[in-house]
Amino acid sequence: MLIQENLTLQEKLRILSDAAKYDAACTSSGVDRRGQSGMTGNSSACGLCHSFAADGRCISLLKILMTNECVFDCKYCLNRASNDVVRAAFSPEEICTLTMEFYRRNYIEGLFLSSGVMKSPNHTMEQMYQALWKLRREYRFAGYIHVKAIPGADPRLIEAVGMLTDRMSVNLELPTGDGLRSLAPHKTRKTILTPMRQIQNGIRQDREIPLLQEHTAGFLEEGKARASVTGAGIQKAAGEQQDELLSWKKENAQPLWSQRKPAARMHVSEIGRRFVPAGQSTQMIIGATPENDYQVLSVAEALYHRYELKRVFYSAYIPINEDPLLPALPGGPPLLREHRLYQADWLLRYYGFQASELLDESRPNFNVLLDPKCDWALRHMEQFPVEINRAPYELLVRVPGIGVRSAGRIVQARRSARLEFADLKKIGVVLKRAVYFITCSGKMEYSGKLTEDTITSCLTWGDRKANWEISHQDSFRQLSLFDDFHMNVPPSMEDRFSVVTGQM
Amino acid sequence: MRIYVCEDRFEGILCGIYDAWASGLGHANVRVQVRRTQTLELFAEYTEVETDPAKAEKVASSVRRKLSEDIYVNLYKTAMSCAPDKADCMYRYLVRAFAAGPGIVQMYQDPAVMRVFEICRNVGNETHLLLQFIRFRQLPGNVLFAETEPKNYQLTLTAPHFADRLPDENWIIYEKNHGQAAVHEGGKGWFLARMGEKEAGRLRDRAGEDGYEDLWQTFFETIAIEERKNPLCQRGHLPLRYRGTMTEFQREAWNSRRKKERKDEIDVCIGHSRVGDLLPEDGGDLQRGTGGQADPAG
Repeated sequence: MLIQENLTLQEKLRILSDAAKYDAACTSSGVDRRGQSGMTGNSSACGLCHSFAADGRCISLLKILMTNECVFDCKYCLNRASNDVVRAAFSPEEICTLTMEFYRRNYIEGLFLSSGVMKSPNHTMEQMYQALWKLRREYRFAGYIHVKAIPGADPRLIEAVGMLTDRMSVNLELPTGDGLRSLAPHKTRKTILTPMRQIQNGIRQDREIPLLQEHTAGFLEEGKARASVTGAGIQKAAGEQQDELLSWKKENAQPLWSQRKPAARMHVSEIGRRFVPAGQSTQMIIGATPENDYQVLSVAEALYHRYELKRVFYSAYIPINEDPLLPALPGGPPLLREHRLYQADWLLRYYGFQASELLDESRPNFNVLLDPKCDWALRHMEQFPVEINRAPYELLVRVPGIGVRSAGRIVQARRSARLEFADLKKIGVVLKRAVYFITCSGKMEYSGKLTEDTITSCLTWGDRKANWEISHQDSFRQLSLFDDFHMNVPPSMEDRFSVVTGQM
Repeated sequence: MRIYVCEDRFEGILCGIYDAWASGLGHANVRVQVRRTQTLELFAEYTEVETDPAKAEKVASSVRRKLSEDIYVNLYKTAMSCAPDKADCMYRYLVRAFAAGPGIVQMYQDPAVMRVFEICRNVGNETHLLLQFIRFRQLPGNVLFAETEPKNYQLTLTAPHFADRLPDENWIIYEKNHGQAAVHEGGKGWFLARMGEKEAGRLRDRAGEDGYEDLWQTFFETIAIEERKNPLCQRGHLPLRYRGTMTEFQREAWNSRRKKERKDEIDVCIGHSRVGDLLPEDGGDLQRGTGGQADPAG
């Protein structure tokens, strides 16, 4: 494979950002770090999105590949070895100046560095390490960095890179091991889950033993020392069976929100001494392989519980390559399915839901018309209506139209006085959805039938008039002279003549 | 009804609140208002309030001491708002707060609390968006210059973020519609300054060709996935009113402006040619010109 040498920076950026655009994760959250004189940059826990591209996705980080040269041949990927595309590579110097100059102009929140596999995973990871080291040490960059770990790279390299970044991610690529075998022949579940486990152990260890000693050795050496400690977990992960994620069953696991750690607060001087402070994430492609939504969501849940991930990203499969193993998608990429999975993902992480509550074997896919929370509520009408002034927080967040923020505000506000429907609206509750499921001081605003079918039709038809007509079929309506009384005047003699002669 | 008219600054409004409270007329009979926001009322007596730092300090310190820092922050954000009734909202909020104590922040059922909550939310949301959407341009002499056009007064809320983020850079954030700028000198603090359109124009003209602006536009265009195009979603996250000052939309704006100009030019050309065809070359009027061909003698 030939890398084009004489490309301008502009052409390289075009090629290498175009190649990176299918990666979903572009967040800059999870670490809180103040700036310092002599350094450039800070990081806020909530993350900032600096722009929104024409597809509506946020641009938070400078999302580029180090190189789009790749020895792997994953069927779905633009940069697979068998594709004939122009190959380019950034030098570490170029990555640093681009990041710094974009950052100064407030275009970006930091760098998202991924790469095709150049020569070998280790070689690629080393190149990435060099670029990051330069950026952190020579350019004194204290902004956000997110790096992809290359599957199959040496644990010591992952350790060393993890010291310089805020977030790291290993792409799960496809929800099941079978899918991976057929579409990504060079990757295995083992090479993906092993670094994931290693990063998890590293983060844990980092949290438990903060900054033991003053480090004088280079970071690579330091990485080696730590890697031998975290290595214990790796053997275990490697020994586990193929579909550990899909077959994972929860035994008295705590809801995810109770396990969440607050965003890491760190000092600038701790860069290089804290391992992946903003946690790790992953992403999987939806719609390239025949898994159903229930399987995908169960895998995500297992990842959250077993690997303590911060986020799982879902990326609707976009057909780029033609291959008999890939599905043809005449209706375009499965964007609605992706949207529903994200909605369910938030329900898992912040609303105390479990995958098995939202879906099950008999209904393995999400409702096209209703969001997962409405769908769940309609199937559990026995739990509703909920009294706003008394219900516990855990139940409030399960009501459609009430989010984490508005539930928090309700709990705060009802301490001093009773809440009415008008107050709820101002607090931020979406009454359009919530009104079917709540009472305020025992009163309900919706007066129709409380059955699954009626409410479903009310929720899915946005228009009020249409709703009214559906819930009041065969009741009162405006009479029409012509339809209801068949009042037609019979044609006269002149009318018949005019039909024949054509003179009106 | 007596209306206390105060300066449109945090200190000014606090002085207005101080005077209104100290007047002893009763809360129902006074109102606080910032200058030049509302039309004059017939049955009201207007009193101009002088801004006195000592009075403002008294109000501020008693809020911080007797109530809480949260309430102080809420008041400050409200004062930065563009809402015309903000001064009176702050007054009503304080009346309720001194009666109910620091717990007032969460009593959303109270109309006065709700109004301040809404204003703060509006200001806070805009601050958050500005932190994301401010774009600096490189000026010669290593100065970064940004122009913004927010609805609320945002400089004092955004500048600390950039002072922390870019501590060693020289930068200026200019609010077009308020004629104000935050100026930061590398290694030192930042301060507010008045800046007119004239000075801003001079700075704008100094900005030359910057290769990184071009690179950023390239990145912005290639990072979008064609198959997922969704302008409605984009507009929801990035409202149109911010785009005028954002680098990545300048090329698009320039292109569409260029297209429109070209279209106008073509229209003008077409218009000319049509009239020109009809007009005779000697410049006679239309009637004679068309008739002239049929009757050369005339």
